[in-house]
Amino acid sequence: MSTLQKIPVIEEKKGNPLARVFDDLVRFCRSRSLFILHYCTGCGAIELPPAMTSRFDMERLGIQPMVSPRQADILLITGYVSIKTLKRVILTYEQMGSPKYVVGICSCTVNGGMYWQSYATAKKLDEYMPVDLYIAGCMPRPEAVISGLQKLMDRINSGEADSWQDYYRNYDYYLGNQQKLFGEDWQTPTDIITEAKHYELMGEGTLGDHTRLLEQHQKPLEALDMRLGHNIKESVE
Amino acid sequence: MIFSLLDELLIFSAATVLVALILGRGLAVGWMVTILYGGQLLVLIKMAALGYGGDPIASELSLSVMGQDLSWRFDALSWFFALITLVAALLTSWFSCGEWERKFKQQGGNVWLFHLAMALNVFTMLILLASGDLLSLFIGWELVSWAGFLLMAVAGGVATKAAMRYITYAVVGGMTIFGGIALVYAAAGSLQYEAILIAVEKMSTGQLWMLVLLFGSGFGIKMGLLPFHLWQAAAYAETPGPGSAFLGAISSRMGLFAILLVLVKLFGIVNIDSLKIPFTLIDARDLLAWIAVFTIIFPTYTALKQNDARYLLAWHGIGQGGYMLLGLVTANSLGAAGGLLHVLNYAACQAALLMAVFAVMHRTGTADLNKLGGLVARMPLSFLVLLTGIIGLAGLPPMNGFVSKWLVYRSLLEDGMPLLFLGTIIGTLGTILSVYKLIHNMFLGQLRVEHEHIREAPWSMMIPMLILAGTIFTTGLLPGIPLTWVTAALQTIGLTGPEITLGGIESSSGSLDMIWVIGVLFAGFGIGAVIFYSAGPSKRVHQLDNYAGGHFLSADVRYQYSDNFYSGLMHLIRGWYRGSFQWLENSITSLVEFLSLGMQGIYRRANSEFYLLSTALFIIAWVVF
Ligand code: SF4
Repeated sequence: MSTLQKIPVIEEKKGNPLARVFDDLVRFCRSRSLFILHYCTGCGAIELPPAMTSRFDMERLGIQPMVSPRQADILLITGYVSIKTLKRVILTYEQMGSPKYVVGICSCTVNGGMYWQSYATAKKLDEYMPVDLYIAGCMPRPEAVISGLQKLMDRINSGEADSWQDYYRNYDYYLGNQQKLFGEDWQTPTDIITEAKHYELMGEGTLGDHTRLLEQHQKPLEALDMRLGHNIKESVE
Repeated sequence: MIFSLLDELLIFSAATVLVALILGRGLAVGWMVTILYGGQLLVLIKMAALGYGGDPIASELSLSVMGQDLSWRFDALSWFFALITLVAALLTSWFSCGEWERKFKQQGGNVWLFHLAMALNVFTMLILLASGDLLSLFIGWELVSWAGFLLMAVAGGVATKAAMRYITYAVVGGMTIFGGIALVYAAAGSLQYEAILIAVEKMSTGQLWMLVLLFGSGFGIKMGLLPFHLWQAAAYAETPGPGSAFLGAISSRMGLFAILLVLVKLFGIVNIDSLKIPFTLIDARDLLAWIAVFTIIFPTYTALKQNDARYLLAWHGIGQGGYMLLGLVTANSLGAAGGLLHVLNYAACQAALLMAVFAVMHRTGTADLNKLGGLVARMPLSFLVLLTGIIGLAGLPPMNGFVSKWLVYRSLLEDGMPLLFLGTIIGTLGTILSVYKLIHNMFLGQLRVEHEHIREAPWSMMIPMLILAGTIFTTGLLPGIPLTWVTAALQTIGLTGPEITLGGIESSSGSLDMIWVIGVLFAGFGIGAVIFYSAGPSKRVHQLDNYAGGHFLSADVRYQYSDNFYSGLMHLIRGWYRGSFQWLENSITSLVEFLSLGMQGIYRRANSEFYLLSTALFIIAWVVF
């Protein structure tokens, strides 16, 4: 998907004005209470401790670290992403609950940076998952990190930061890139297509050649249901 | 002869034993005895006036042995304990009917002996509770001890060893009690309570001390008070499922019953309070209180270390006995009510917990906390029962344990005993930690592949468990109901209870109304539920769709944290687990062995005929002169 297509088009807001007030309020609250999962991939991670601790104190902006993806809002990728790591980053991203935002810190996440020629490094992060914001630099100073996060807050507040929907709407594109890198039998335990249906985020690009390939070998994990009795299939066994 | 209600109850109970004895090899013995327990309970309910302060009911039966009149009667205290005993018997026996029995038989267990032992336990406990003088108390006491031994030994193997240990303790306890009774007889010339009450007034401090020590340790052994607690955990845990739940719920409380009867009613708290320990600031009552507190703390932290769910609960049971004794020795209205109420609350929780554990064991075949996990998805009702039970045991609202523990805490604070209070808090902390370990390692976390296909426990087990869970909640919501019985029971031993309302107590220094507490709590849950259900669609995920630092999880990798639980805390308190009590027990055993060897040596080596002759002569001379 070309970058041109990805330029967000903000639709005119219409409908119930009170509903819009409520949406604004929700967005405002959301932008003021952000939990980040810092998946510290490369050297850029070293800039996060000063950003989080008393010198620059990220928490005054309402941003706090979080240990698990289920409760986190922001996924911070802090440097070059090796192919091995990328698998885990994608899994982590998919496990995060929506709405979720990805921030790529360091030039390496933009275009591979000084690892451009490395055989083991993924070059452009946004080929594999939608990225809301890049903070470029080798490495960016904490001030840059903070100002980048502030920018993200503004975008969340104004409703522009909705790239997470893009992952559902154009899943085929991202999956294709992932398959190119990891091989055709690539799969994660999370089932994005079912999720897209569940959240009503199916788009034209959700299904395609690559998802068909996935469905051929995918073994979906079914959630454990609470069971009182036993079903007939088991008693036959 | 017209039978009184008490006679009816005892005859009914004896009939249950006979049915189990004669028809026990038949098929539906479990159901039969369960129905008979129900019948006994009905007779007890007919006596319900006792629970509201009615006049004691005497048995028509009375005997005279060597000039001593033996009599049996029921008052509010006996009624209260009998109620718990019979409800526990009914539900645990119900639990054993059907599937559990079948499996027990398959594994080579003797169902007949099991039911017989249960019925005997109930019968002997009722006899003990009905005792009307010290001699009948002693007879009941011995019967209960041996019936308990039978039930503990039914399973064979490790259980027999634990039961042997128990009976050794019990025999020693019986002897100290017998010694106490002999002393009382020497002082009062009679074993009737009235005569003893008069005699106690004239006793010297030395005599009283002796009696408190003899009776206290004798009855304390049954209760598992420190340092006589070592026998209990293994003996209870190794008993077959329902029997274990029954023993765990009520058996040790017979010790508390006897302590109340003898130490509190006959000797009187005031008298015990006047027994100072020389060169220290404490008296006999403080001593009892501190023993109670250490009984709370040490076994509870030992429970924390257990890796077998049954042992964890059994160790806990010892600790909970401490709360009851502590509340009762404070002897003010709040504490005494709390202590006695805790007997009922604890019985309900412990029975529910053990049943849930045995239900899991029935399905999975193990109670090893390192081999379970994630069962909430397969046994949700058992989970619910266990959850109810642990909330109750830990003394948190909205369950019943909160009320009794609150009363005990309150009385300690009001009486100005902050150190004892601190002790109970430390104990409660241990309880919360260890019951969390229990529920986490069994029901939360990762479901093992081998448990994918198990199902919920059968209804024959589930219904009694659910009834208990319901009881735990209702007596938590409306503690006024059991508190009325408790107050009546307290009056029979010369203590007064607090002022009761339906939802708790009324007191000038602070009332408790559980209806409000629970109302507010559930309003909070309600708000949480509204937020949860109105926040848009949610999605259930598979347990392998979980975060482990981005690692891809598979079913063959165990990521349940269960082994060496609380390793940080254990590291801190490891030094405390020195096994000092074990050492004490071993050294006493060795001493007895050494002495008996010596005796044997003298007897065997020397001219044994001469010894026999001289002993016989001595005895004859003693009898003649
Ligand atoms: S941009 Fe520079 S600092 Fe950041 S990860 Fe790449 S090499 Fe390291």
